[in-house]
Amino acid sequence: MTGDRREGFTGMVRRSLDLLYLGAGWLAGLFLISIFALMMGLSIGRQVGLNIPSGDDFTSWAMAAMAFLGLAHTFKSGDMIRVELLFERFKGRIRQVMEILCLSLALVMSGYFSWHATMMSWDSYRFFEYSQGVLAVPMWIPQIGYALGLIILTIAILDELVIVLSGRKPTYEKPPATTAEEVVERALQSGV
Amino acid sequence: QTKWNLASAYPATNFHTENLVKFAEDVKTATKGGLEITVHPNASLFKAPEIKRAVMTGSAQVGEVLISVHENEDPIYGVDVVPFLASSYPDAMKLWQAQKPFLEKKFESQGLKTLYAVAWPPQGIFANKEINKIEDLKGTKWRSYNPGTARIAELVSAQPVTVQAAELAQALAGGIVNALMTSSATGVDSKIWESLKYYYDTQAWLPKNVIMVNKTAFDALPADQKEAVLKAAADAEKRGWEVSAIKTKENAEKLTANGMKVLPPSPELAAAMKKIGEELTADWLKKAGADGKALVDAYKK
Amino acid sequence: MDIVTLSGLLLIALLVLLGSGVWIAIALLSIGWLGMQFVPNVPSSGTVLATTIWGNSASWTMAALPLFIWMGEILFRSRLSEEMFRGLAPWLNRIPGRLLHVNVLACGIFGSVSGSSAATCATVAKMALPELKKRGYDEKISLGSLAGAGTLGILIPPSIMMVIYAVAADVSIIQVFLAGFIPGALVMGLYSGYIILWALLNPKRMPPPEPLMSLREKLSESAKLIPCMALISLVFISLLAGWATATECAAWGVAGSLAIAWWSGTLSRTSFWQSVMGTTRVTCMIMLILAGASFMSTSMAYTGIPQALAAWVQTLGLGPFGLIAALTVMYIILGTALDGISMIVLTTTVVIPMVQQAGFDLIWFGIFLVLIVEMAEVSPPVGFNLFVLQTMSGKDSNTVALASLPFFGLLVIAVAIITIFPGLVMWLPRLVFPG
Ligand code: NA
Ligand code: NA
Repeated sequence: MTGDRREGFTGMVRRSLDLLYLGAGWLAGLFLISIFALMMGLSIGRQVGLNIPSGDDFTSWAMAAMAFLGLAHTFKSGDMIRVELLFERFKGRIRQVMEILCLSLALVMSGYFSWHATMMSWDSYRFFEYSQGVLAVPMWIPQIGYALGLIILTIAILDELVIVLSGRKPTYEKPPATTAEEVVERALQSGV
Repeated sequence: QTKWNLASAYPATNFHTENLVKFAEDVKTATKGGLEITVHPNASLFKAPEIKRAVMTGSAQVGEVLISVHENEDPIYGVDVVPFLASSYPDAMKLWQAQKPFLEKKFESQGLKTLYAVAWPPQGIFANKEINKIEDLKGTKWRSYNPGTARIAELVSAQPVTVQAAELAQALAGGIVNALMTSSATGVDSKIWESLKYYYDTQAWLPKNVIMVNKTAFDALPADQKEAVLKAAADAEKRGWEVSAIKTKENAEKLTANGMKVLPPSPELAAAMKKIGEELTADWLKKAGADGKALVDAYKK
Repeated sequence: MDIVTLSGLLLIALLVLLGSGVWIAIALLSIGWLGMQFVPNVPSSGTVLATTIWGNSASWTMAALPLFIWMGEILFRSRLSEEMFRGLAPWLNRIPGRLLHVNVLACGIFGSVSGSSAATCATVAKMALPELKKRGYDEKISLGSLAGAGTLGILIPPSIMMVIYAVAADVSIIQVFLAGFIPGALVMGLYSGYIILWALLNPKRMPPPEPLMSLREKLSESAKLIPCMALISLVFISLLAGWATATECAAWGVAGSLAIAWWSGTLSRTSFWQSVMGTTRVTCMIMLILAGASFMSTSMAYTGIPQALAAWVQTLGLGPFGLIAALTVMYIILGTALDGISMIVLTTTVVIPMVQQAGFDLIWFGIFLVLIVEMAEVSPPVGFNLFVLQTMSGKDSNTVALASLPFFGLLVIAVAIITIFPGLVMWLPRLVFPG
């Protein structure tokens, strides 16, 4: 009976975490659409005599929000790249140890980065830092996405570390592509 | 030996940067190598919007900032971009003297201290057609990049256009922008004569770069080094203002040499501009409150 | 610690981290942090980290990057490329090498709407490989030309690598784009020239010619290329007509791609959202690497390593050609194991001061680097185009790598040509942006 309840609890944690990563990823996707909308708005607006005040600032902030909010989802999907030349040769126990070391370093760096990004937004709030364009926007507002995205990434890395420590395969490991469609898809995802 | 980093966003060949390098050399000589300042030009350490914060946090001990970009934070920072408040080098210097105590007060609360300030060449109007009276600006595609330029667009019924500084040259070439207020220095740097033909030397305002130091870092210096830094700063300020005035003349010559019509504003245009200036000064005073009033009073005295 | 020891230490630490499979972005952040520990008088490297990366990420110019990636994602889902083979094939029957030239041309055309080399290679290979095999073309030259021509995706604008370089080196994106056209045509010419030569020397390995079509038939087949051409034109018209700035023309590209996808009936709510999420993942992956790189280069600026290295290289007295030759060799070695993004972001900080000192234009150097990255894509053991073709053809890695070798060589020749005649690169950007 207790085992079942634990099962139910871990299941719930799993689902909430996955929803957190995906939700942040979707938010990042919406910011991509807003970059597109802002740029088209600026471009077409000039032709018809409309201006988006500080449109360039809003675009820049949408860019930052997109880049950081989508990190956890990207990491979990296995799209964060690493040099696999030597790494791929390792199998079994050694591979698991290396994976743990990589994840630990990633956890430390991401945690450190999250902390300082949060402190930076907090300082912007404390020092009343404002944007520098036509509209005065308090800078802590656009910086929330920056700090929040990094915090969610840190959670995702910790999540993976727990998975690997418990002897399971990391979520981000993808099987090699086989069909032509998959190859094209992976090629697109490589960015290179 | 103490080592400081100095963050600047302008290229190494800019006269402000050359002045910074000389300032750093003077400090090194005067302290017999006791204080060495490394100049990092061209935003190689921090990008322009982040430099003030970098100095506040001590990430760089010294920084150079176009101080008016922080006007949204406190109107005191933006008094030098109120149009037609101070429109010559002597007036700009006077305005700087009036602004300085208020700036110091604000800086004090942020752990900063001013070293010196140098003005950019005055702002004029570049346009693709003759601007004889203020109505001629109506409907032009006018670059608006800060509250002041946005307000001018509103007052003259121009169409405000948002374009980043990095894309200005291309925006001019493509006709995205056909009128703007900027300094002759920007005009020369972006080879503005390729797209616009007229330059009206309205001398609307002279924005300033302020060189600031982290207060904790400064206070940690021994007394003789502090004195050496302040002495070198005073020299740099004097030198900078002289060079800036020379650059203004050279720029005007370069514009003319490249086929631009460099003209003084017509009396009609100048009068209308002066009226706009009064309106914008009133706007600014409303924002800036008691300190602002005291500053302008001190300047006008 | 003196600067030479410090550089060596950081380099070794970086190689160890990368080699042990640490994510590239994390490795860069770590090295940036390590470098900062040797800088006196900086109270908090964490503050520097957060501040520089915010400044580099919240950037208007950078916003062109996800849009160009998105453009490719939408077009991939619109199946635009599938008709390209039939559209190009009828015109090539009289040239020695015949349909092999489809590989080069299709990659050139697809490369001018896609910003990625691997995506160009994969998309064109997916349609061309089965067709060429069916018609009995030699598999080795088919594979090699596809691997090589796929790299045109990053040489012909738009190009993700060019955006990354422009941001890293702080030069104008549009100027680097413009600079890519003539070298792109040059590389296409070299590839086609080689194919012609190969076909003349190996007539026995060519299949018999196909029946010729009438002009009317040819034209009706080629109508399938119209949407692609229209899209390329739209992007450039938006720029030249003054509708858009260099960054905004990426948004026009997205709008045009959406229109093509809608017109071809492949735009659904699902495919739209898939393209959005796909773009988000690629962008986030690249942006975190760029973030790590920007922190590392700030850290390097604090240590003074790039300037010291540039000064040291100057004492060697290599001269401009010597420097480029040395850099080419260094990059070819790096390129065997590293991907293009990492190569660019890892090296620009230290290499750019040297290159500038030797008197090279940074726009020119961008094209040089893109050609270098192209070589890396087709050099074993780690070359993304090789992986793509390996999986698609079912051949082993050695076969594909050997087949690509001549095209690797042609890229080296292209580097030599643009070094001797830098005007090929600089003519177009100078024409549009004089001075
Ligand atoms: Na391309
Ligand atoms: Na390679």
